[in-house]
Amino acid sequence: MKDIQAEINKGRRAFIKKVLEGTIAGSLLLVIPAGAMDIPEQITGMREEDGPFIKKKKFAFIVDITRCIGCGSCCVADKNEYNVPDGHYRTWVERYVIDYDDNVYVDSPNGGLDGYQVPREDVPEANVRDTFFVPKLCNMCEKPSCVQVCPVGATYQTDDGFVLIDQKRCVACSYCVQACPYSVRFINPVTKTADKCTWCYHRVRKGLLPACVNVCPVQARLFGDLNDRESQVYRILHEPHVISVLKPGMGNKPSLHYVGLRREVV
Amino acid sequence: MRGLAETATAAAGYAFPNDLHIHWSLMIVLYPYITGIVAGAFIVSSLYHVFKIKSLEPIARFSLVFAFAFLACATLPLLNHLGHPERAFNMMVTPSSTSAMAGFGFIYSAYAIVLILEILFIYRPTMVALKDMSTGFMQKLYNVLAIGSDNVSPESLALDHKIISFLAGIGIPMACILHGYVGFIFGGVKANPLWATPLMPVIFLLSACVSGIAGIIVTYMIIMKVKGREVDLECIRTCIQYLWGFFILDFVFEMLELFSHAYMATHHWETLHELYWGPLYVSFWILQVLVFSVIPFLILTWMNLFRLGDTLVRIFAPLVSLMILFQVLLMRWNVVIGGQLMSKSERGSVYFHPEWLEKEGILPALLIMVLPLVILYVLSKIFPFWLEDDPVASEPTAG
Amino acid sequence: MQPSYRSKYNTHVIRIIVILVVLAIAGIGVRAMMIPESFGRYGHYRGEAVVDEMNREIRNGTNASCLPCHPYIKEMHFSGIHKTVSCEFCHGPVAAHIQDGKVIDKLPKKQGEAIKTLCLRCHNQIIRARPRESIKMVEMPKHLEDKKVGIDHTCDQCHNVHAPLMWVKQAKAMMGVVEEEAKQ
Ligand code: HEC
Ligand code: HEC
Ligand code: HEC
Ligand code: HEC
Repeated sequence: MKDIQAEINKGRRAFIKKVLEGTIAGSLLLVIPAGAMDIPEQITGMREEDGPFIKKKKFAFIVDITRCIGCGSCCVADKNEYNVPDGHYRTWVERYVIDYDDNVYVDSPNGGLDGYQVPREDVPEANVRDTFFVPKLCNMCEKPSCVQVCPVGATYQTDDGFVLIDQKRCVACSYCVQACPYSVRFINPVTKTADKCTWCYHRVRKGLLPACVNVCPVQARLFGDLNDRESQVYRILHEPHVISVLKPGMGNKPSLHYVGLRREVV
Repeated sequence: MRGLAETATAAAGYAFPNDLHIHWSLMIVLYPYITGIVAGAFIVSSLYHVFKIKSLEPIARFSLVFAFAFLACATLPLLNHLGHPERAFNMMVTPSSTSAMAGFGFIYSAYAIVLILEILFIYRPTMVALKDMSTGFMQKLYNVLAIGSDNVSPESLALDHKIISFLAGIGIPMACILHGYVGFIFGGVKANPLWATPLMPVIFLLSACVSGIAGIIVTYMIIMKVKGREVDLECIRTCIQYLWGFFILDFVFEMLELFSHAYMATHHWETLHELYWGPLYVSFWILQVLVFSVIPFLILTWMNLFRLGDTLVRIFAPLVSLMILFQVLLMRWNVVIGGQLMSKSERGSVYFHPEWLEKEGILPALLIMVLPLVILYVLSKIFPFWLEDDPVASEPTAG
Repeated sequence: MQPSYRSKYNTHVIRIIVILVVLAIAGIGVRAMMIPESFGRYGHYRGEAVVDEMNREIRNGTNASCLPCHPYIKEMHFSGIHKTVSCEFCHGPVAAHIQDGKVIDKLPKKQGEAIKTLCLRCHNQIIRARPRESIKMVEMPKHLEDKKVGIDHTCDQCHNVHAPLMWVKQAKAMMGVVEEEAKQ
């Protein structure tokens, strides 16, 4: 029994190797790396999608700041998923504190990666009018300025609306980092290329939720299909809710939506 | 992390966690500085070749070679900055039509071709003469630089002259495009309120002219001093005139940009205000504006409104030019670095102090700034910069 | 007197034009060779880059990915109130634990004080930014004082980390306290 299993594994590895070397051309898109298939699908129907792009679904990402508890699970999952080097953040959680004099205090120690263990010391507890957490990630703009400014076509927008980075062509000129109004981009010191949140495109294509959505214990991050009228994201976006996007004046048309966003949030 | 983006320290308020890095540091300060000097030096030579300002003749050819020496180094800071310099040609292989940066390779190459051709044509009679006077390697080199032709008949020179006028003619718009375009690389970044202004290309262009003229004055006077020769003061006086004119425009536009930001007082002004009176206070208000703009401006006004004695010109011309060279460098710093010191969170700023030994630190920056001068020195062994060293310059047809 | 020249009056101009043309053609040729094959297939980018991105390693699994091998924890965790909390948040990514269906390394589990820090990351009342609808919080050390235990007690001494209410309920049942809401 063990031997058979080993044999299968060997076969599979050999197969993947062949594919990676390009001997089995054309079938590239169908490859699912070892391990992924063992996990039950979270986004039903995704594993039937086999074209270069997602056809049947239109994904939306919603962050509900009325639910976020600032635990930083998302940040931890994200760092683990991508081995993000220290000091750089694909996603982070901010803490807002607004006092009765309408002063706004924001902080995000280590991007919220270590959680929030202590209250802000510089704002007297009694003077706090409102306080909440705001998770941040790539806004997946419909009109992304990073794609516009990339000189070599290394940052691109796929037909299914994801803004991704070609790690093999990026020259790391940092122009996209400058152009992003949301500061979600950085230059990864390991790969020496631009890097940013991809809404876990590799997971989504294999039917799994983005890592941060998957770990959120309070459903403050939601990811789903807008073509499915029964989905939670469809309902939230089409029922009366306080929904907005960040920096709408930039004209980037983010497709990341925030529920319960307050006007102080930038 | 070392090398790719330098670390900044939080100054005030809240900066987005990714904004604690300065992605464009010294190298990107040098890049517009060097291209600016190139464009400015070219304009000086065009003043002679196209606009026939006769008193600039002594430095007309020098400024072209000077421009070339800097042009040869203009890409170095960029290459040093890139995370993957080996992929630099991707910019020309698959340029994106929507990117303001993608055009640089093409504009730079086109401009380099025009500049090189103009130098070759202008120097051709000299090269032919020098070829006959030299031996061995130098003879071969001069033969190549004369493009293997020894024909200096009036017919041939007339053709050259036409081509030179043409090259100088298209060179002016190209120099303007080269540098105006560099300004647009910044001016087109809508996410950065300090950069995103249509005035940016104009300011860059004007400061380019200013730095080019100032650079020429300083190097010309230093070289003359070293060689123990007499400086052509008429030429310097003309340069100072142009320097004054361009600097007035430059300074006015710089202040106008700030003023209109302040007057219109959109929500960006709050951030900009914090920036100008916070991390940029010393480098902008004290250094750039007060010390290196107002004082040179007063000196220049004085020099132009009164006819100073020769000694005073000999002292103040290089002094004021040096100050202006600093002004432009500070302006590049305050724009490039300054723009990144305010976080896109709109409620925080950071401090940045360059390191000496980083990949993009002060030492590499100094090396890159010295290199054009080294190249200039090497070129001086090949191209006689000054008319009195030129075997054919005494003939009226030359140049 | 006209001196004689070896070259014609425009030789150099023609040579320059030829050089420029050759350079331009060479440039165009080299460029054509350097463009990746799949570039421009779907847009101004390398088509295969999408495949590269898709084939990125999945390092976080889901809670379901731990089930086959940890049935005991599964039973507790999934029937407990912590079922929405991610195993991998507390233990690390599955990729550091399992590769090709085999255990390659042990995942860390927190002990003692570290557990307390971990729990308080989500349950500390002192952080007021947490919406009460999302989570129940405790005030430290009041929570322990209420239970009349020393404040050096760690959370896992009374709460099962995987199903925090399990023992609490058991204790209540033993003491005859009736559970009104069938929450668990
Ligand atoms: C392929 C089966 C398998 C899967 C799937 C699996 N584990 Fe394990 N796990 C094991 C085995 C076997 C051990 C014991 C290893 C040892 O003791 O050396 C173990 C050990 C552990 C330990 C350490 C226990 C201790 O006492 O130190 C933790 C924690 C753990 N697993 C967590 C997880 C989590 C979380 C997941 C899901 C993300 C998971 N495991 C998935 C097989 C598995
Ligand atoms: C709230 C954080 C948390 C979550 C969520 C969590 N664990 Fe744990 N787990 C711990 C801690 C803390 C320990 C060590 C303390 C202990 O042994 O009681 C532990 C211990 C373990 C052990 C070792 C058990 C033993 O008896 O020594 C395994 C295996 C394990 N966890 C697996 C899982 C799996 C599988 C999941 C998801 C279904 C999970 N854990 C979810 C915190 C967590
Ligand atoms: C990642 C965040 C997180 C961590 C870490 C965490 N919890 Fe929880 N815990 C939750 C959430 C979310 C709930 C509420 C689930 C619900 O209401 O559906 C919860 C519920 C509880 C409850 C039940 C509250 C009730 O509804 O009565 C207890 C008790 C509890 N947790 C104790 C602990 C202990 C002890 C630890 C440390 C081992 C811990 N928690 C770690 C998120 C967390
Ligand atoms: C001495 C045992 C004991 C310890 C130690 C303890 N708890 Fe509890 N905890 C309880 C009991 C019993 C309850 C049941 C609800 C109640 O009576 O307050 C409870 C309830 C809770 C609740 C739910 C509160 C609510 O409003 O329903 C949370 C959250 C909780 N504990 C978290 C923690 C955390 C975090 C720690 C560690 C810092 C901890 N507990 C340590 C005994 C303990």
